[in-house]
Amino acid sequence: MIDLRYLRIALLLVTALILPRALFAHEATLGVLEFREVRPGAFIGLWTMEPTVGADRVDLKVPPHCFLRLPELNCGEKGLVGQITIGNLGADMSAALIKIIPLKGEPRSYTISTANPVVTVLGTDAPTIDTWLELAKTYINYGIDHILLGADHLLFVLGLIWIVNGGWRLVKTITAFTVGHSASLAATAFGLIGVPERPLNACIALSIVFVGVEIVKQQRGEIGWTARYPWAVAVTFGLVHGIGFASALAGLGLERRLLPPALLFFNVGVEIGQLAFVLLVLALIWAHRRLDAVLPRWGEALPAYAIGSVAMFWFIGRLLIVLST
Amino acid sequence: MRRTLKHGLIATALLLAQAPAAEAHIVAIRLGDFYAGALHPFTDLQDVLLWLAMGLLAGSLGAARGRWLVALFPLGLLAGLALGARVGTIAANPAIDAVIAVVLGLLLAAGARVPTVLLCVMAFALAALRGAANASDLAPNTDRLLFAGGLACAGYAAITLIMALTLAFRGPLSDSSKDSSKDTSKDWRGIALRALGGWIAAIGLMMAGLAFAS
Repeated sequence: MIDLRYLRIALLLVTALILPRALFAHEATLGVLEFREVRPGAFIGLWTMEPTVGADRVDLKVPPHCFLRLPELNCGEKGLVGQITIGNLGADMSAALIKIIPLKGEPRSYTISTANPVVTVLGTDAPTIDTWLELAKTYINYGIDHILLGADHLLFVLGLIWIVNGGWRLVKTITAFTVGHSASLAATAFGLIGVPERPLNACIALSIVFVGVEIVKQQRGEIGWTARYPWAVAVTFGLVHGIGFASALAGLGLERRLLPPALLFFNVGVEIGQLAFVLLVLALIWAHRRLDAVLPRWGEALPAYAIGSVAMFWFIGRLLIVLST
Repeated sequence: MRRTLKHGLIATALLLAQAPAAEAHIVAIRLGDFYAGALHPFTDLQDVLLWLAMGLLAGSLGAARGRWLVALFPLGLLAGLALGARVGTIAANPAIDAVIAVVLGLLLAAGARVPTVLLCVMAFALAALRGAANASDLAPNTDRLLFAGGLACAGYAAITLIMALTLAFRGPLSDSSKDSSKDTSKDWRGIALRALGGWIAAIGLMMAGLAFAS
């Protein structure tokens, strides 16, 4: 136990120095483009939500047999089938939702994101096996990206690893966190619960403050809630973080019929990213044990205060955003 | 032993899992400048070879000598990156990289007992050199703090894991308490490490040949 404290100090200090930049990590830059079929193979395109980069600057590429000059898109007899991509995805526009409203059949939505820069528009026979594969590819990648860019979620998990200190208790705690966020993610995505995004983000920051306080308590020899009932704390705050995950999905405006599989794949992606992070931290803990690499005792209290300070910085920043709107 | 091997495999898999993400620029678009900084060195053979050589050498010298690199190596990377960003792009010199690879490889192959201070100076200098080389891909719109954070984290994680894996491979005699009490370089594990040093030196020689030929 003692030989790990300085590893945690090092990890958390490095994290604390970088994480304040991630205050707005979840602010997505989206655009929504709607194509409405006016006669067979001919569409009228309209940006219903213009991206921040500006509609004129979006480098939209359509299947080769189609001719695009917005607002007109003509695909002839073959129809709008094939690959659509955006050539200039980046910081100014991280994702775009393409809605296709055909003359016959249900409207369909496709998400082009930096994680999945090419989407394949399917015919009216969809959903087919290709639809599911396309969804899996898109949303697993999107889930991985979301957790890896979600510095607040990772910091919370790091705090749990710190307090629980490995072994089966850690497995149970991380599982409880997974159960919590999966449940609330599903409930939010299906509209069973709804929490405004901005206050929620402030609450997520507060959950990390709580973990920071618990670490301080542990260092003082007090047994806090997390040390006593780690799974309960993990599942409770997992519920809060899960609603945050759902807000990322909500921004993509999925078709309702595609929501269950998309939700499943997104959650799988989140778990893959989270598991990779936990394994990396555990590997580093093992490496530090092996090297007997510890720092002086005087620095022991710093990380807990660093974690709390970063989280408070986020909380105040997010609270100001809530109050200013 | 099985537990050690299991941990080692996990650590290696984690390290290697980052390698296929070959294009740092694509990573920057997808995941931002922190991950671009973290993955950039793994797209460069010089970084991979020299980091590996330094980690193997430090790990083979035991925990007591190697553990300083946990902090010094990422600090060296940051210093080099800051220098490279401030004075302009310092073009990486393949000949210098090749010479360093040869020297590190030969030290490992010879089983040289490099003193702690010298090891630290070598590691810091190498990290600074590679940090400066990594500055070459800093675009005007790159968030330098995030890129630097990613690079330092990658350096810390890579050097720590390589040293720990080397120590684990060498077995219990490489523990700090027994570090200098018995020479383990003559058992098969020590010989394997020395052979690896020979390969690194050979790769360095080939790199030097290519550098001087071009």
